[in-house]
Amino acid sequence: MTIRRILIANRGEIAVRVIRTCQRLGVEGVLAASEADLDSMAARLADETICIGPPNSAQSYLNIQAIVAAAAASKAGAIHPGYGFLSENPKLAEACEREGLIFIGPTVEQLYAVGDKLKARAHAAAAGLSGVPGGKVVTLAEAQRLAGEVGWPILIKAVGGGGGRGMKLVQNSTQLALAMEMAAAEAQASFGDPRLYLERYIPHGRHIEVQVLGDGENVIHLGTRDCSIQRRYQKLVEEAPAPNLNDTLRDAMHGAAVAFARHLRFQGLGTVEMLVDCDRETFYFLEMNARIQVEHPVTEAICGIDLVEEQIAIAEGRKLRWKQEQIVFSGHAIECRINAEDWLHEFRPSPGRVTRAVFPVGQGIRVDTHMQAGATVPPFYDSLMGKLIVHGADRQEALQKVRRALARLEIAGVATNLPMHVELMDNDEFARGAVNTGFLERFLENGNRAVV
Amino acid sequence: MAEIQLIDVSIRDGNQSLWGAMGFTTAQILEIAPVMDRVGFRALDFSSSTRMGIAVRSHKENPWEVIRLTRAAMPNTMLQFIGTGLRFISWELQHPDFLQLVYDRLVASGMSRFVVLDPMHDAEALLESARMLKKAGAAEVIAALTYTISDIHDDVFYANFAARVSSSPHIDRAYVKDPSGLLTPDRARTLIPAVRAQLGEKPLELHSHCTIGLSALSYLAAAELGVSALHVACGPLANGSSLPNAQRVAANLCELGHTVSIDDRALAIVADYFARLADAENLPAGTPQDYDPSFLRHQVAGGVMTTTRRQLAELGLEDKFPDVMREVVQVRAELGFPIMVTPFPQIVCTQALYNIIGDERYGNVSDQLIRYVLGKFGRPTVPVDANIKDRILSRPRAKELAGELPPMPPEELRKKFKPGISDDEFLLRATMPAEEVDAMLAAGPAQRHYNPDLQPVLKLLRELQKRPAASDIVVEKPGFRLELHSSSEREPVNV
Repeated sequence: MTIRRILIANRGEIAVRVIRTCQRLGVEGVLAASEADLDSMAARLADETICIGPPNSAQSYLNIQAIVAAAAASKAGAIHPGYGFLSENPKLAEACEREGLIFIGPTVEQLYAVGDKLKARAHAAAAGLSGVPGGKVVTLAEAQRLAGEVGWPILIKAVGGGGGRGMKLVQNSTQLALAMEMAAAEAQASFGDPRLYLERYIPHGRHIEVQVLGDGENVIHLGTRDCSIQRRYQKLVEEAPAPNLNDTLRDAMHGAAVAFARHLRFQGLGTVEMLVDCDRETFYFLEMNARIQVEHPVTEAICGIDLVEEQIAIAEGRKLRWKQEQIVFSGHAIECRINAEDWLHEFRPSPGRVTRAVFPVGQGIRVDTHMQAGATVPPFYDSLMGKLIVHGADRQEALQKVRRALARLEIAGVATNLPMHVELMDNDEFARGAVNTGFLERFLENGNRAVV
Repeated sequence: MAEIQLIDVSIRDGNQSLWGAMGFTTAQILEIAPVMDRVGFRALDFSSSTRMGIAVRSHKENPWEVIRLTRAAMPNTMLQFIGTGLRFISWELQHPDFLQLVYDRLVASGMSRFVVLDPMHDAEALLESARMLKKAGAAEVIAALTYTISDIHDDVFYANFAARVSSSPHIDRAYVKDPSGLLTPDRARTLIPAVRAQLGEKPLELHSHCTIGLSALSYLAAAELGVSALHVACGPLANGSSLPNAQRVAANLCELGHTVSIDDRALAIVADYFARLADAENLPAGTPQDYDPSFLRHQVAGGVMTTTRRQLAELGLEDKFPDVMREVVQVRAELGFPIMVTPFPQIVCTQALYNIIGDERYGNVSDQLIRYVLGKFGRPTVPVDANIKDRILSRPRAKELAGELPPMPPEELRKKFKPGISDDEFLLRATMPAEEVDAMLAAGPAQRHYNPDLQPVLKLLRELQKRPAASDIVVEKPGFRLELHSSSEREPVNV
């Protein structure tokens, strides 16, 4: 079956991204937008725009009823949920099923399986992957005992969470009680699920993920991405493939990701996130994201594949068009997330009106953005303004390209983290490659910038 | 009321009919391929020997790569190759093992549907080709019934031929191929049932050119008579001497209560793309043609007429075109009424051209004509005129060509080239001049992006590049002025 019209239930740069593929394929794109986004670039590019509610996310982008109604009203055959918002919410997928709409994403069962982080760990174990040492905790006593077993410090995580949200670092047992109370309260407020689990904290870890693609029967991987440069578990810079990773480890991670996806009979685009313990030269399963990710362009750059197109094809019930042997990786790609944040003042969000926006163009340079001069960064949503992605024949060339590209990138009217990226890309340790998750904090401290 | 599928011929037959077979580049195809894949066409008429030669010669692109890349970009629509089973790219007849290798490589590259057309309706030869294609792994093989008007080619003739070919397990379906657009709705109403009756379960398609405006109505008649698929073209590549317009055919079929499962919006995007491309490349759009009964006499197919007219224009003799077309009728009769399908229209028209511009008729003859008279293309339906035959065969060149060795098997042929080259490269080197294949390889991988709307700007930039001495350039049009002045200091540019 062929999808002819897609309702894009998202905003910002990813809405533009999905629309671009729709245009390339001749598929009609209808944008579901809140009142704050009716004049956005996505709205200007879409074939139609439907207002789904006021700016407040809960009443618009998180409003399942409004989104499904918009799809029905526009006679869209499918919904693309983007990332964040409802992209991994099984209730949206269920609503689609009831209304006879195609949810462009994995099955409801798969969303439940990986959305609950404990279930995901159990599936990983069944597929032969090791999670970071740890487990479910309900009582303080359980937590004390488990933490004692796996070793301090530990991270408390929300079972219903993900994407780096709702995590607490606990150094020792005296801090545990309070941390658990706060974590449970926050988890209940943010995810509607107060359940917690804990994991050993890996101080020198690399956050490396593997992109997978499955059609319900076959699964292939599309290589690794290194996302170790994070601030408060939010990624800022990503690259593909993960640099300076020994081949045995890389192959093992590819294999593990495919095994996990196969175990679930995964249908759609997904990412298996893993933590590489640099000290022990081993890796652990962290979680699986059953949606397209912000950093997907770096994988597209090294594989030459349009991942949104593949999502649509799989949603149409088609089988994977490639076997693993046919996937060829070429060169190296780096992505910088440009956020409307003042990095000199604790990364305070800086919404407002963009007065000037100049983006670099050239061979191997890609900019995914919804910004242009005159556009606004609304205060209601995340601060991502766009992504600069460069692709070079190797990491050296990619680094040179990204430095030159950043020099030609100008945004005025709102504060951005552009200067931070300029410094980052010039940093010697980054240039050497394979930085760990503690790197950004050290980098910010060394520059005497506000770290927290 | 029937469910009718559409086969789109824009990329090959459309281009061949209206744009002198200059062919599309890889980039021009890939740009629209994803959208074409979603229209819902059953197949695309995509390539032929001739088309592959043009890729090498005119575009310096690897024809195997064009097929592979297109297949990757449109995995859900069959790509069709049309051939006679006698030759590959060059005009020489090839050894069966060589042709088997051609078919193997075509299937491996991504061709899944094959039309076999025997110009003399030689069922044995056609079925042998079909067998070889199935051996190569072809998903669908279609036997062509080439339509022409003559005392011999009546409904019984076509019904017998249909019975003969459909009895083979290697034939999946058949189609009535009408390269000159001669099929009238009235004739369709007897011919199609007669042919269908012999095909059993195997589907029948219709492919009829619009040369004299008949196909619009014959197609509608065919839809009522059990034809499963109709061949069409998109936008500017339709009408004229090409095939009917896809959008018009779909709309007409729906109007009459038939079902056509295509995405109208995607189809409109495809038509619009080709229209913008035609505009950018200064190519003419096909237009609906007036009915002209003289066509029923000379029967020359669309592309050949365009090429013949172009050749005359190059000689400054375009006014002789009507004389040439009259001579075509005479030459065809003298050669035993070959069906006017490639390569015969070319042979007949070339001779008609020579006869008109030369001092005497048959004073100058082509190698192809000599081979035809020698019987290398099979036995004509009616013998060649005895006097003409003697004149032609008494030429020294005829003796040379008569003594031409039978085609070499591929193992022997390979020895002429460097060892270790791929099958794809070998097949090109065996059938094309070395310089052309070398030039293609030297040109490197083909471009993959084409934007018709950018062509004027790119053309401007290329012209400016050719004028390095220009130090001041002004581009002006209503409401727009751009001035470029070169500075005296040369700053290094790092990109």
